[in-house]
Amino acid sequence: MSSTVELASSFIEGAPPGELADVVADVQSLTSDGDDIIPSLLPAFKRYNETQLTTVKLPGSSQEVIVSAFNELEDNRYFDPESQTSFEVDHSTQTASAAQSYPLESTNADLIKSLLKSFGAHAREHYPNCSYGVYPIENDSAVAILLVANRYSPNNFWNGRFRAIYQLPVSSSSSTLTGNIHVDVHYYEDGNVALNTTKPIQVSIPSLSAESIVSRIAAAERDYQEALSRAFVQTSEGVFKGLRRQLPITRQKVEWEKVGGYRLGQDISGGKGR
Amino acid sequence: MADAQFDSALDLLRRLNPRDTKKNLQAITSIVPELTEDLLASVDQPLEIRRCPQSNRDYLLCDYNRDGDSYRSPWSNEFDPPLEDGTVPSERVRKLELAANESFDVYRELYYEGGCVTPGSQSSGEWDSIHVFEATDRARMSHYKLTSTVILHLANKTEALGDMDLSGNMTRQVEVDLPVESDASHVANVGRLVEDMELKMRNLLQEVYFGKAKDVVGELRSIGPLSDANRDREIQREMITSMQK
Repeated sequence: MSSTVELASSFIEGAPPGELADVVADVQSLTSDGDDIIPSLLPAFKRYNETQLTTVKLPGSSQEVIVSAFNELEDNRYFDPESQTSFEVDHSTQTASAAQSYPLESTNADLIKSLLKSFGAHAREHYPNCSYGVYPIENDSAVAILLVANRYSPNNFWNGRFRAIYQLPVSSSSSTLTGNIHVDVHYYEDGNVALNTTKPIQVSIPSLSAESIVSRIAAAERDYQEALSRAFVQTSEGVFKGLRRQLPITRQKVEWEKVGGYRLGQDISGGKGR
Repeated sequence: MADAQFDSALDLLRRLNPRDTKKNLQAITSIVPELTEDLLASVDQPLEIRRCPQSNRDYLLCDYNRDGDSYRSPWSNEFDPPLEDGTVPSERVRKLELAANESFDVYRELYYEGGCVTPGSQSSGEWDSIHVFEATDRARMSHYKLTSTVILHLANKTEALGDMDLSGNMTRQVEVDLPVESDASHVANVGRLVEDMELKMRNLLQEVYFGKAKDVVGELRSIGPLSDANRDREIQREMITSMQK
């Protein structure tokens, strides 16, 4: 059987968008008979933050920057190329501290800077509340382009998150961008309903200019959002309709007095099956 | 403390992915074994189907027809695996059970017939309805309390879409007083209550699964450029201001 720490870790990593603190409170309550479990859950918090592209406020700033496996420097220290800052993250509280100047040093620094500009403009045009980042990865042979958009409305019992995670090799003049888009929506008024999507992205990039890369990304994201919108309609009209009719084929409700109640008058032992 | 832990367990199950309810329920009861009985009685899970060997008809496995590791078929009144001293309903309740099962079998045919998935397409769906009744007899009337849960799992996969999973459960309650002439009235009253409730819940699920979820996606990402939307709002504001002058 799995240990309490393993089980509690799976709860942390399964927290829906914007509800990590609620899940933590529940875990603390369920484990209140033993020692404080939070320190043993730090690896789970770190995995959650890096996978979910958690954003933290830079100290002394209102800017929210991304925490991910792509911009980690060393244990719990991350960097943000746009503000040229590095910072330490407390994974259990999702806060940043000890900010330091961190000039971007990369053979692809020019591409990264122009990507930040173009991708930032694209992000602001389509995501009302988002954070993004472009990072050198794999010994400067590739760049990672990340975006996370969150909307939380706990008073109305819904929260949502959109994540885009792309990688682009930059060693040759043409390349292929690969990655995934994830959309997670949670609705929990008198129930628990979750939308979880994963869309693999593969786009060929004929020339490694920031404008060209971002316009291909923008097209792929638009195509995906349109496919998702169509899927809502198709699922509603298709599978959902097939599962349960709105009315019987006769267009009339059931006549309950006629459909079996008469059997109550019969002797059970003599009552025959179908 | 136990009450607080029970509430935390329910809160956690309301937050974690509804597709994993069974797994998460096991995890919680493994951490706090004392909660097992109460949680199993309060958390609805997708129902398993078993074929009754006597009648060759299908029935559902749930907490209400379970005794130990055996389940009682509502068609034959027999336990499977067989039990010497399994708890069976009184003769009156058994008559009601038979009548209700026959009636709801017709209901199932009428509303759920054809509930299948097109072969070859990679979309799937599963609908579980669980309606629990309490009836209190009064003179010529009965007070009914109905708690209804629908568990609905939908999945969709295509090249353009990737993987899409829409899963969850919703619960609603209703209380009502209805006239009763004989036990047959109970079946008809309960039938009508379930029929009305399921229609309401079907519409609610449609609204949440396909309306609300889609709206939230629209809140996260705008298909059209936000600057256009802002400019339109600005123009509209100017028009209103100029008309007021």
